[in-house]
Amino acid sequence: MKYTPRQAESNVNVTPTSPIREFFVLMGGLLGIMILIYILLGLAVNLVVPHISVDLEEKMAAPFIRSMCAQDTDTIRQHYVQALIDDLQGRCTTLPYHFQVHVREAPTINALALPGGHIIVFTGLLDKVTSENELAFVLTHEMGHYAHRDHLRGLGRSVVFMTISASLFGPESGISRMVARGLGMTEMTFSRNQETQADEFALKTLNCAYGHVAGTTDFFEKIPREQNPGRFGHYFASHPENRQRISHLRDISRNRGFKLADRKPLPEAIKQSEDTSTEKPSPPAHPLSCISPIIDN
Amino acid sequence: MYDLIIFLILITVGYIAGTLAEKRHYRSIRKRENAFLNLPAVTMKSVDYPAKEVKSAQMVYGSAVISIDYFKRMLAGLRNIFGGTVKSYETLIDRARRESLLRMKEMAGGATVIVNVRIETSTIGKRANKKGVGCLEAIAYGTALTIER
Repeated sequence: MKYTPRQAESNVNVTPTSPIREFFVLMGGLLGIMILIYILLGLAVNLVVPHISVDLEEKMAAPFIRSMCAQDTDTIRQHYVQALIDDLQGRCTTLPYHFQVHVREAPTINALALPGGHIIVFTGLLDKVTSENELAFVLTHEMGHYAHRDHLRGLGRSVVFMTISASLFGPESGISRMVARGLGMTEMTFSRNQETQADEFALKTLNCAYGHVAGTTDFFEKIPREQNPGRFGHYFASHPENRQRISHLRDISRNRGFKLADRKPLPEAIKQSEDTSTEKPSPPAHPLSCISPIIDN
Repeated sequence: MYDLIIFLILITVGYIAGTLAEKRHYRSIRKRENAFLNLPAVTMKSVDYPAKEVKSAQMVYGSAVISIDYFKRMLAGLRNIFGGTVKSYETLIDRARRESLLRMKEMAGGATVIVNVRIETSTIGKRANKKGVGCLEAIAYGTALTIER
């Protein structure tokens, strides 16, 4: 056997290929699949939300809410708002929720509906309202979101993940907490239609509770003067034009024959925020920072 | 955002540095392979020379450790999702094996032939036992025979 020295002409073990092209093809494919899943999840929200029971919703909310309750301070204001909402709920609505009010120290003129019947009321709102009817309107507006389950829809795609993790792993599992941490509770957006429906719900409930609808539009009439809604201006931004909402509410009142009467004043203790807030710790820099620690738990 | 910038920098640096290093390495490999063309390394266990003609027999080995660059690791990671030939690792293994053979031949010096050559590979480094390839070691070994003529 004779050995002929010679070098192989081509390398069979290395495929001649363009790595850059391969990279872009694979990356493009991956991104495409992710975008598809994202879009499908967006569509899944509307399918999933009607099937989430209140029970499951409370489980979903558990990882957030547990330490939010720990942060609650027992104040006159909180008791008052809680009593007001219990009264409205007991007399005029049949929502399957047990509403719980959490008063948070922040200048934001707003209230938030969180899953599980937890309503956050910012002290900025309590400072601004002038009558019980006005406050009740904001509260029933939030209850209206519960009635239509907008608060779940508003969470968007995250609600799909939360439902899956809460029903598969239970509310106390590390996975649920991890999912909760990864999702922003604060990124809640409502459509104009949802706001309008919540307004209508609030109007009906107020008429039932007080026998008239005075004070319902006070809140909106106040806003144009407060031109700077702050970082959390989404309440105003995502809510339909205030003027439009006012006229819509007036139209409904006229059509249904709702009456107007004197507003019920707020109790003195509620109006003066100073006497309660002086002893409390300084307000968080971020109006919703009370939620973040919960998520970090 | 910073993560993304760091990631892009790593990818770019990985691609440029990795490509340059690979080209240079292949040039050097081809050059040395030509130089060692007259020293055959075969997998046969023996060659038919009478035993008395074999002046010396010595174990020779060469090993090379080659790492993959960030870009190719990324590419292989994407491949792991979709499946298929991991082309980006092919040059890594090819280079490591050829380099180890060349080093083995270098160790053999003036031998006539290297018989019973084997090549083995293993992953080494912190990530060796976990997911992903850190770097790859190829070791080639055989018996160098010097024949008297």
